[in-house]
Amino acid sequence: MAEDKIVVDVLTLDSVQCAACGYMMESMAAMPAEVQELIEYKEWSIKNKTGIGKFMELKGKVLPSIAIEGDIVFPSIIPQYEELIDEMVKRAKTPAVAEKLEAARETGFQFDKITENLKKAGCGQSTRSDS
Amino acid sequence: MSKQMLIDAYRGKRTASAPWVPYSGVHCAFLINEKADDFLKSPELMAKGIVHTAKQYKADGIPLLFDLSVEASSVGCELKWWEDNVPSVATHPCSEKTPEEAGLTIPTKNDGRWPTIFEAAKLAKPQLDDLDCAMMGLVCGPLTLASHLAGVRIFTDVYKNPEFAQAVLEYAGMVCEAAVGFYAEMGCEIIALVDPVASQIRDTTFREFVTPHCQPAIKAIHNANLTSSFFICGDCTKVMDEVCKLGTHGFAVDEQLNMNFIRDKAREYGLGFGGNLKLTLSLSLGLISPREDAIVSLAAGGSHGYTFSPG
Repeated sequence: MAEDKIVVDVLTLDSVQCAACGYMMESMAAMPAEVQELIEYKEWSIKNKTGIGKFMELKGKVLPSIAIEGDIVFPSIIPQYEELIDEMVKRAKTPAVAEKLEAARETGFQFDKITENLKKAGCGQSTRSDS
Repeated sequence: MSKQMLIDAYRGKRTASAPWVPYSGVHCAFLINEKADDFLKSPELMAKGIVHTAKQYKADGIPLLFDLSVEASSVGCELKWWEDNVPSVATHPCSEKTPEEAGLTIPTKNDGRWPTIFEAAKLAKPQLDDLDCAMMGLVCGPLTLASHLAGVRIFTDVYKNPEFAQAVLEYAGMVCEAAVGFYAEMGCEIIALVDPVASQIRDTTFREFVTPHCQPAIKAIHNANLTSSFFICGDCTKVMDEVCKLGTHGFAVDEQLNMNFIRDKAREYGLGFGGNLKLTLSLSLGLISPREDAIVSLAAGGSHGYTFSPG
């Protein structure tokens, strides 16, 4: 199951300092529980070397951006819930994952576990040049 | 240091040279060896840091603070504090309810962190006047405030639930107007609406949901005979014309835009402009020379409505 998870990379300046970056991260952290089980997401801050490396690897052009399975899908656009689901469905690794995502299309964002989800995604934890 | 030269540039006028503003924010805390959270909670430390920074950088103007959580925290958003950064908004009171349903009211100067900020301004203002340095008030713009209030759903609601989005944004616009009144009372000569997330939407959305809700705040700045600006971050190319049509005296952008492009836009609309020094690439990461970046910016910006400042 772990290998079926959809990988989402969020390229940021710093999700604490930059509101746009913060809400890009929140668009993933507010995904409902049934979607959280299907995705793996992480913040890559350009303030440190690994973040710069990911930015180069994904051929990022602007900050913030969301990449799904290695494709920059939302460059400087905070996506709508349904747009995010649709782009993840397109890149689902198995029909079963695509089906589960489609089933969650009407659920909408949920805010009860945002803090916990952001922490899991490393939000604000690696935004220093020495981190 | 020249307050008047900065005001002239912000209003799109020609100046003898380009004035300079460090958007220093919690960097002021770093310069006086204090933690960001301690700094932002203490009027004395804030005033000390701002005045120290203005002197050290020979600034023509300096923001009293650069913290977009102030308005949100004054109407009930909870904050997460950081030792080396501005606070981030942790809860959204309008994630399920309109501001009216959530019982939100327009903040007074006694709410939230406003008393601390008033006290800091009282201490800093005479010292900045002695330095001939303008004190700037930075107000969280309506879309960023709406995001703080409703969370990321606001970016879906502008399409799927426009009545809800309008209700949140209308309230946000009124809070912005109130914040303008506070900064005017503190003695700020320049007041800017700072709306970083407004770069992350389409131009049609900007026109419908941002432009109208900036107007009460812009009107309040102009009614107080003060100078107005609109700060936006990120790649705002797609909304740049909308920014220019807002009715402010000028605007400022970050390092992701081409300086020649924004200079030409500013000239086209007769506005002041600034920003764009490579804060990340140069000052933070050192990937390009700060000196060369500054020279390139000064050459492109010229001395017609341009303020030399970080992006």
